[in-house]
Amino acid sequence: MPLDDDAVVVTDLGKRFGRFTAVDRISFSVRTGEIFGFLGPNGAGKSTTIRMLCGIISPTSGTGRVAGFDLFTESERIKQTIGYMSQKFSLYPDLTPFENIRFYLGIYDVPAEQWPERIEWVFGVTRLSAVRDRLTRELPPGWRQRLALGCALLHRPRLLFLDEPTSGVDPITRRHFWDFIRRLTAEGVTVFVTTHYMDEARHCGRVVMINAGRIVASGPPAEIVAHVLPDRPDADLGDAFVALMKREAS
Amino acid sequence: MNARRVQAIARKEYYHLIRDFRSLYLAFIIPMLLILLFGYALSLDVEHIPTAVVDYDRTPESRDFIRRLDATVYFDVAAHPPSAAALTDLLDRNRVILGIVIPPGWSADLKAGRKSALQLVIDGSDPNTAGNTRAFITAFIAQANERSLLDTLNRQGREPIRPPVEGRIRVWFNEDLESRNFIVPGIIAVIIMIVGALLTSMVIAREYENGTMETLRALPVRAGEFFLGKAIPYFFITLVDVLVAILMGQLLFGVVMKASFWLMILASGVYILVALSIGLLISVKTKSQLVANQLAVLVTYLPSLLLSDFVFPQQNMPVPLKVVSKLVPATYYVDILNGLYLRDLSFLQLWPSFLMLVMMAALLSALNIRALRKEGL
Repeated sequence: MPLDDDAVVVTDLGKRFGRFTAVDRISFSVRTGEIFGFLGPNGAGKSTTIRMLCGIISPTSGTGRVAGFDLFTESERIKQTIGYMSQKFSLYPDLTPFENIRFYLGIYDVPAEQWPERIEWVFGVTRLSAVRDRLTRELPPGWRQRLALGCALLHRPRLLFLDEPTSGVDPITRRHFWDFIRRLTAEGVTVFVTTHYMDEARHCGRVVMINAGRIVASGPPAEIVAHVLPDRPDADLGDAFVALMKREAS
Repeated sequence: MNARRVQAIARKEYYHLIRDFRSLYLAFIIPMLLILLFGYALSLDVEHIPTAVVDYDRTPESRDFIRRLDATVYFDVAAHPPSAAALTDLLDRNRVILGIVIPPGWSADLKAGRKSALQLVIDGSDPNTAGNTRAFITAFIAQANERSLLDTLNRQGREPIRPPVEGRIRVWFNEDLESRNFIVPGIIAVIIMIVGALLTSMVIAREYENGTMETLRALPVRAGEFFLGKAIPYFFITLVDVLVAILMGQLLFGVVMKASFWLMILASGVYILVALSIGLLISVKTKSQLVANQLAVLVTYLPSLLLSDFVFPQQNMPVPLKVVSKLVPATYYVDILNGLYLRDLSFLQLWPSFLMLVMMAALLSALNIRALRKEGL
């Protein structure tokens, strides 16, 4: 039973593009304050789902609430409330980090008196103060990714959506990234993250695994592995996913 | 509509503009070049028509005739070919437009009161110049006739007779018949349309090409805020172009606006909005800077130049083209500018054209917002 204060609740959520079903009636809920992993191979429907949850595209079936707002009628309120960062999420390359930050502060309608403090904070957590007046296109990809995450947090969202946040990022930056995400959840922020790196699921409290638009498993990572491969204590989530795929095919 | 979001987009757009060399070039250098080019090259006035005279008569009278002809601003006697055949050659090689042959015994016939014919040959390849040349030379000969008639009567000691009908012509609105006085307002209309539409045709396509459109979709930006924020910086840039054009028209060409400056600014503001809306609409529909650019030139530059009543009079156009010309925004802006520059009209007389421009701006803005909503804003 979904709780009333769950950050995300969706029931039978579906999205069709013409005759192609990208997401096929999925149901799940995300509890407030957890790191929720949305796992699956490329093309499984991860991006379509996260884009529906963020109010970018509207679902073709089902019901759902994100941060208490209806997916169908209140997408504008959802966009104002949540933070969203994607691997495709581009900053303006011909603007400086400072100018990009100011753009987001304006777009999120943050009151002007809070701007100096937020700008200070975001340069602190992203460690980008030294390059605040360089053009963003001159920064290395890892730094741009930090800036993008910082921009998504400028309006202090309680719910953060991350679409493939670590793809194409080196291992050290990835570790820093997950440390930072854990600190956010310690402050009570709920994080919804999609990834195709199965090993990253260990950072998540609970995960949903999808394939071809359908949920194939859900729960805490350890429980999924134990349930799917009970006789293999050394198996990880990747092994469990492969095993599930084989069973479905046979 | 949230003012802070509009401001955030407008400021970002301003940064794009000042960091893009091409945009700045397009915004300021191109308009000035166009004014200089049109102002100096596109003169429709016919003066200093190159003329050749073959004088077979060789009398003081014939030489006097040639001297008087050369003294007018309309004709420059550029050559004195020895024979009619040499004159033909000059006309063939496009050295002269008017050829005059004074036959032998011309002044003797005049004195004797016999009919004396002058042969006039006009190069008709450019009908406009040829028509003007014909009108000027006819008037010049009529004047010469009148003078010699008066001389004759005078010598015979009779009262000078007056011609029964005398047309007294007064030109209104452009007293000196200077084509520059209507070319300058026309150029302003063409420049605003091309600069406004070209600049903005790139700005939404750029968001697609950089992948930032996906970002914007995820942000709480509404279509109206986005449209307005995008338009604001370009509105002011284009308004500066209008002021530069007015100033250059005045300083370089001495074209002074007769009517209210503020009425001019108001009309320009609405017209700029039309131009920007066309550019933005092209941009959101094509999603490619290159295609948008080409399309913007095609849709704005040629119709504004050819169909707006600026270069070619609409009254001479065939009906289908007349209908199309009524859809060209420049038609109404040129009408207003002519009213303001040449006729000193007031808003009471110009309101129908204002209304058309306002309706176009409103319709195009609505189409923009609809297109942006469809794109997920």
